[in-house]
Amino acid sequence: MTVTDPAAALSRRPSRHESFLVYARFRYLKIACAAASVSLLLYLVDSPYGSRYGGSWAGYTLGTAGALLILWLMWFGYRKRLYLKDQGNLVAWLSAHVYLGLSLLVIATLHTGFHFGWNIHTLAYALMCLVIASGAFGVFSYVRYPRFMTENRHGTTMPQMLSRIATLNDQLRSVAISVDDRTTALVKFTVETTSIGGSFWRQLSGRYPNCATAAALTGITEIRANTAPELAAAMRQLRVLLDEKAQLLMRARQDIRYKAIMDIWLYFHVPLSFALLAALLAHIVAVFYLL
Amino acid sequence: MQAEVTFLTRRGAAVMRKSHTATGETIRFGRGTGNEVPLPDIRVELTAAVLRQRSDGLSIERLGDSLLRVNGGTTGATVVGPGDEILIGPYKIVLSSPPDGLDAALSVELVQGVGDSLQRLMAESRIGLDQTGLSKRRTSWMLFAALTILCLVVPIVLYSIGAGVKPSTSVPADGNSTFLGIAWSPGEISNSHRYFAQNCATCHQSAFALVKDSACLTCHSQIGNHVESAAGSDGDPVRQRLQATRCAGCHEEHRGLRTLVIREGALCVGCHRSLTEMMPRSVLRDVRGFPDGHPQFRVSVVADARTRRLTRVDLDAQPKPADHPNLVFSHAAHLVPEGFPALGYKPMVCAECHTPEASGQGFLAITYKGQCHECHAQKFDAALPGKEVSHGDDERVIAEVEGFYASIALKEGGPGGSAPAPEIERRLPDSLSPPPSDPAGRRAWVRQQTTRALGIIFDEKRGCFYCHVPDPARGQFHVAPVLILTRFLLPARFDHAKHAPIECDHCHDARHSQASNDVLVPGIATCVTCHGAETASFKARSTCTSCHVFHRQELGQMRQVMAVEK
Repeated sequence: MTVTDPAAALSRRPSRHESFLVYARFRYLKIACAAASVSLLLYLVDSPYGSRYGGSWAGYTLGTAGALLILWLMWFGYRKRLYLKDQGNLVAWLSAHVYLGLSLLVIATLHTGFHFGWNIHTLAYALMCLVIASGAFGVFSYVRYPRFMTENRHGTTMPQMLSRIATLNDQLRSVAISVDDRTTALVKFTVETTSIGGSFWRQLSGRYPNCATAAALTGITEIRANTAPELAAAMRQLRVLLDEKAQLLMRARQDIRYKAIMDIWLYFHVPLSFALLAALLAHIVAVFYLL
Repeated sequence: MQAEVTFLTRRGAAVMRKSHTATGETIRFGRGTGNEVPLPDIRVELTAAVLRQRSDGLSIERLGDSLLRVNGGTTGATVVGPGDEILIGPYKIVLSSPPDGLDAALSVELVQGVGDSLQRLMAESRIGLDQTGLSKRRTSWMLFAALTILCLVVPIVLYSIGAGVKPSTSVPADGNSTFLGIAWSPGEISNSHRYFAQNCATCHQSAFALVKDSACLTCHSQIGNHVESAAGSDGDPVRQRLQATRCAGCHEEHRGLRTLVIREGALCVGCHRSLTEMMPRSVLRDVRGFPDGHPQFRVSVVADARTRRLTRVDLDAQPKPADHPNLVFSHAAHLVPEGFPALGYKPMVCAECHTPEASGQGFLAITYKGQCHECHAQKFDAALPGKEVSHGDDERVIAEVEGFYASIALKEGGPGGSAPAPEIERRLPDSLSPPPSDPAGRRAWVRQQTTRALGIIFDEKRGCFYCHVPDPARGQFHVAPVLILTRFLLPARFDHAKHAPIECDHCHDARHSQASNDVLVPGIATCVTCHGAETASFKARSTCTSCHVFHRQELGQMRQVMAVEK
């Protein structure tokens, strides 16, 4: 019977907090740099008649490497969904996906020999650049926004924020019963139209120009000046509740915005990858169809 | 006024009732606690409506801005009675027959509850981009399908059905610019092929197959060969290599406007660097590049003008290469600075004799009439200043001269001449002695004059032999055949027009050339003063094709080499 040391086994596993960018001491960054360097060397060594291009032996080598790399990189989209298979390995995959994806820019650019035109070949290249650019933005957003999200949430979660806002709505509804109709209308509006999230642009911009809570706060400030003394306490309570709701809304909306920014690139990265796959297929077929 | 108010609360199928009696002048409905019937919901105004007892019964009246509905209709005030249904905000109020002693009976029920606030909030909120209707999967499939159809399926269909891709070499090209011609073009097509570039099938005659040579030879059937097609020499590695090379092997299309003809020296040097090894019978020397690795030029000079035999000699050979055009000519003697009387004492320049071809590339052949006659007229008798003999045929010259004098003898000293010959002959200088009158004398006179004139014509100081070489084998008055070349570097081409700004003296040392044997073609050292390798930075970049041509028309058609059609 073999006795395994749990501590040793744990130490072998990669830390869950290790960023994919620094995974295994930049192993895949080094591999990507090596791949780019070899590509550059191939490009320089090859000297076909005329200018360098994708049809020379180095051009075909770089093109084949690039095409295989694209397929492998796209396989990551399927691989990453197998969450339960091996989480530690997924970090390695992501690290490799990012760095080798960036190296593809060098490999494919050298494959083109810097010849571009209004054809499907350049279309494939342009789509590849867009995919890489969107991916690079994804990396940027994954590095930048999680910290902002944490700071913004103040230790709460989105469900907690929503729950608190719902409670505030109940409290507002309860307190507003005793106040004048104008104030009640404002409160009713903010309770019934609590706008969180929404359209694509709203989530991404975090702007809610017709926010009922903001309008209610403004309105109630004006009304408070002329309110009857017996309603002053209720009005003050409403003001406090609306203030708190506005704060929570701002936080929730900002959280949604950060999340949207962290997600939006994938709405370009994935579809453009498939567009690239189609263009790549057309590129390869076109080259060999009419030799 | 008194009314029995029953609040109904439903919990599933069960209905809970809570009744009380409301008393007041009127029965008011509203959110406010001062109302007889409080409706505690912010969707109801503080005092929304009032029920009054009138002489004709009960009436309901709206007090606020909110809508008041009675039996489904909107109203401001109306008479109501048992069975009527009143809606105030989310509440439904149904009147019934009042018990004894009361003015009204009504049931109140909240029919539109606010529900669970959190659930409602979550239901109304759209959090996450996936809630906005965007779908990565759907967009991906749409883009993949669209691009596959547009970039792959449509071009293949266009090619397969031949729409706009008909083989065509007509001028102008058939068909319009097609989607296929643009979308699938892997690179800019050469300028000379652009006029049919939209018809891909002109060259690409079948799918997944290399462009055949036959497609090229459709138009370029007369293209010249590179090597002589020698019978029984198919075993030559060079010929085998040439046979195995497709047209497109060298002429790569879609590589840009001006790159169809490969100019890189490496293409030539690939074979020519070891030609002596690959083709031992070849007279060509190995070339590894230019200027380094290129041998000294070999000039073609006349070895024997009579048999028109040429020979190629290295410019650096010892003894120096000599031309044998059978001409006595000194460039130096013609290029004297003081000039000549016949030319007005203006110094002669090269262009006075060397007339460029129409293309400007080379020069027209030197001829007596074109270049020499003006100064070197073929007059032979001072007494006959207008008479000249023809140039170029010595036999004819002899006949012509004899004819001249025979004609004079006939005219001036014919049978039965006018006067007998004087005892003492007196005549003006340079005047011709009159022919005797007797036939024998006239024949003798003609022979004498002809011999005298031929002596002048073929004189080595004044006549033909001043410039020509005698041909004693044929006789005293015969000139050896002349052969003046216009090209000395036969396998190469040199364009004088491109070098027009450069003085002739820079390359040709004619001013010091005393004899026609001198070869004035400059060596490679003169070229490399301006021309460098194809990668040179500060010299004119020069490749093999700058001076040499691959397809040499004089060697026949390329098709002959292509025994097996590729």
